[in-house]
Amino acid sequence: MPELELALRALGREVEFPATPDLASAVGRRLGERRLWWRRPLAVAVAVLVVAVAAALAVPSARTAIFDWLGIGGARIVRVQELPPAPTVGHLDLGRPVSLAEARRLSPWLLVPSADDPGDPDRVSYSTAIPGGKVTFLWGTPQHVRLLLTEFRGEAFLEKLVRPESDVESVTVDGYRGAWFEEPHVLVYTDSRGRVRENTSRLVGRTLLWQRGDVTLRLEGELSKADALRIASRLQP
Amino acid sequence: MVSRPLAESELVERARSGDEDAYEQLVRAHQGIAFRVAFLVVGSAPEAEEAAQEGFLKAYRALGRFRRGASFRPWLLQIVANEARNRRRAAGRRAALALRAAEEGSSGGAAPSPEGSLLAGEERERLLGAVNTLRDEERLVITCRYFLELSEEETAAALGVRPGTVKSRTSRALARLREELGEAYA
Repeated sequence: MPELELALRALGREVEFPATPDLASAVGRRLGERRLWWRRPLAVAVAVLVVAVAAALAVPSARTAIFDWLGIGGARIVRVQELPPAPTVGHLDLGRPVSLAEARRLSPWLLVPSADDPGDPDRVSYSTAIPGGKVTFLWGTPQHVRLLLTEFRGEAFLEKLVRPESDVESVTVDGYRGAWFEEPHVLVYTDSRGRVRENTSRLVGRTLLWQRGDVTLRLEGELSKADALRIASRLQP
Repeated sequence: MVSRPLAESELVERARSGDEDAYEQLVRAHQGIAFRVAFLVVGSAPEAEEAAQEGFLKAYRALGRFRRGASFRPWLLQIVANEARNRRRAAGRRAALALRAAEEGSSGGAAPSPEGSLLAGEERERLLGAVNTLRDEERLVITCRYFLELSEEETAAALGVRPGTVKSRTSRALARLREELGEAYA
């Protein structure tokens, strides 16, 4: 081996790398959490699968093989081979601006974020795009969303398409079942006329999706899982 | 109580059929190299840790696609390095990797390299300086091949390029280093 290459090897042995963390234990722990996730009633699973397949096939660009799926309230998580094309940042279909009092009147089931954490939203919107109505709390501006909380009654169908290798982690919020997404995904839903639409939900990568009673909630933003879970647990009727 | 360690292919086979303990053993065997590759790509220890952890989890889920009889390490490094690259891109920054030579004696009395004696301090600094001036893709190929001593196949997998590209990129990087270092390595 020429001298330079020998010298580089020798140098490599003297270069200081950061200490290797204990990845094996962390990975083992996370595999254990995932295993618990799958202990769910089979009957419900089959029912949701049928709907999920039908729904995904209704979207032309999502007509790809479905690997697996998870159901949470009115939302389903479907893994597809390829995500349908979607703009990175699209317009947000928030609906019309309303006061908090009006949102409560229109949606008596509404859960309201704590005024201390994360603070009062910059905008509250109401939309009938999802049957039964949808309320959105937005912090920031529609162009620069810091945090977005969406709530709707569970009977609507709403899907999140994720790539097969995407990580979806099982979580609980006050004992209710939910999922945490680290990566971008595409949202598909039916509008009030029953048409299937794709949403531009790739604006943020991190999402907490959970169901509380018959209300499905989605919290998105550049926030850590711990922050998301804390904000979620502080919502009040 | 010491039992005979299982061969890697046996561990892979067990992990494939859902044996998480077997997979944990595989992770333990490869976490050092996986973490270092991720570190070279992202240039930060916490990011490298996350990338490696995610990479291992993705590899577990992808075990069904692992070709039996193939070698596990390049396959794994490919997944981990890919995860690290995605993170670097998402962060929108260039991996500003500043390798720092270890303090004298901190290597805990590691044996000198079999190829020759340890480099003199001054020369070490000069060589490291030259490596650090390389463009990202050249520095990566040099650090993978010589610092981590990855094979060409493993380097190709980690960088997401063909082995031929590793060859040409390596010789280009070596030429640039020779140019930078002058006659000492001419």
